[in-house]
Amino acid sequence: MTYRFLPDVALADIAFEAESESVDGLFETCAVAITDIMVDPKTLRATTERRLSLTSESLDRLLYDFMTELIFMKDVDSLLFGDFRVRVSSEGTSMEAVAKGEKIDRERHGLRNDVKAVTMHLFGVKHQGNTWRTTVVLDI
Amino acid sequence: MPANPAIKQVSEVTWEIPPSYKPGMQVPARLYATKKLLENMDSGVIEQVTNVACLPGIVRYAYAMADAHWGYGFPIGGVAAFDTEKGIISPGGVGFDVNCGMRLIRTNLRFPEVKPRIKELVDLIFNLVPAGVGVKGTMNFAQSQMGDITSLGVKWCAEHDLAWEDDPQHVEEGGFIKGADISKVSKQAISRGVSQFGTLGSGNHYLEIQVVDPARYLDRDLAKEFGIVHDDQVMVMIHCGSRGFGHQVCSDYLRTFESGMRSFGIEVRDRDLACLPFSSKEGQDYYSAMVCAANFAFVNRQIIVNRVREAFSRVFHKDAEALDMHLIYDVCHNVAKVEAHNYDGTKAKVLVHRKGATRSFGPGHPDVPAPYKKIGQPVIIGGSMETGSYLLVGTQKAMEETFGSTAHGSGRTMSRTAAKREVRGAELQRKMLDRGIYVKAATMDGLAEEAGMAYKDISEVVETMDRAGISKKVAALRPIGNIKG
Repeated sequence: MTYRFLPDVALADIAFEAESESVDGLFETCAVAITDIMVDPKTLRATTERRLSLTSESLDRLLYDFMTELIFMKDVDSLLFGDFRVRVSSEGTSMEAVAKGEKIDRERHGLRNDVKAVTMHLFGVKHQGNTWRTTVVLDI
Repeated sequence: MPANPAIKQVSEVTWEIPPSYKPGMQVPARLYATKKLLENMDSGVIEQVTNVACLPGIVRYAYAMADAHWGYGFPIGGVAAFDTEKGIISPGGVGFDVNCGMRLIRTNLRFPEVKPRIKELVDLIFNLVPAGVGVKGTMNFAQSQMGDITSLGVKWCAEHDLAWEDDPQHVEEGGFIKGADISKVSKQAISRGVSQFGTLGSGNHYLEIQVVDPARYLDRDLAKEFGIVHDDQVMVMIHCGSRGFGHQVCSDYLRTFESGMRSFGIEVRDRDLACLPFSSKEGQDYYSAMVCAANFAFVNRQIIVNRVREAFSRVFHKDAEALDMHLIYDVCHNVAKVEAHNYDGTKAKVLVHRKGATRSFGPGHPDVPAPYKKIGQPVIIGGSMETGSYLLVGTQKAMEETFGSTAHGSGRTMSRTAAKREVRGAELQRKMLDRGIYVKAATMDGLAEEAGMAYKDISEVVETMDRAGISKKVAALRPIGNIKG
């Protein structure tokens, strides 16, 4: 499970490429990458747990909705998560996840950029051989 | 960008690309730039503005202003007008941050009075105006109020003692765009937005204390029309938008539009140009939701202004009225609006998309508020935190050439990652302090990403639009204090 930032993809925003040997791992990697953009993950504790259950029309849309849900919880519940366990259905149209993290603490957390939306730019989930891959561009 | 033979110079700072450049172009593309700005413009702008020229129902030109740079679908600094019956509406032509915009407030304070207290003032505003990741706002509005708030905008604020009596008149569209319908906005957008009123956001958003900069530019006669009567008068500028509410509206409707295009037989060259007929139910729904988000942003900036007035009052021990802290104006720079324009020998309503572009209506236009009718609509173009900003006025030439539109800012030339490689936030903060600018930022990384070297030269952008006759300079404003998310 790895991700790397793509400095030349979006001038005003932030982009990353994620890959994993499993689709579950790809979802988890994307979630960790988004967190890394928003906060120093070393400063996050896992004191709060949230269970998510999502359904969408395709695997691409499911990943998009999952990342959008993380942004939603950051804004509405002031929650940031650093640990994720994701199970995507075999059809790729539903998922269950457990996310662990805590409420934002401005004194203790190393806060970084505020992610506001997932764009559709370059977005899509690809499966080549043993590797699942995606490119995500986030509006900052 | 390497020289492109397809780009023809039509006047000193105006360039065109003919429809023959790309199959599907309905209209030419028109760019406003000096030779230098054009040479340094990223090639993505040309690709994108000529893609926009292919969209159904576009009229006259697809425009790129002097600050244009690559965006999602439409370039930032892009303008495109569409026939309201045959044309489309596109969330990509508005931007995620609906009604990201600028608000300028004057004071009657002068630089020597403010300079010794700038740290106290900036630190206090930093505490009163939340900025950064996941911040909560300063108002306890209920979700049940969101319909009225996003329908009436600053007018709602005035009715609830959250605005001065003359504030609405000094906001574009009188502080609210008509046509909002909260039932077209998702619960997620409402939930995200309701707790964010009065927050600055992050990224390139800022709140800046500025002083008139006659060494760079000042038209004293025009400036008087805005209550700017001293060469060292202090002003406050706010740059922010519709926060999570607007972003969620855009995300929600991008999904709807992408799915819906096939049924309307619309194909686009770029997924980010997802669009639907403006006359379709989905097009109208998005418009109504977008208007809610635009009005949200007007209210957000109003709440922030209230806090700024409070801060100045506390530091200078006078009420804000005594400090003459009236609004000069508030402009949108990410929006789509139905406007009446004369073009090609006819007068018609068109849907004007301005994405990183500002309305620039000329003297006498009915939508220019009474105090400015003789001189034209105020235009506020924001630069980087190191270089300052400009106040300008709209012109009749803008009405004739660009559907009353001009640039909005400097435009980025460097990615966030590249900026952070070049400069450290703490070092930049120290250097700016040495130059007389006190900056308080929520994060040092965020500060580095917004370094002046990551942006075009604002003066060249503004000079270009002035030379094109599209917006006329009034005053340069230089920063002395800055708050960043």
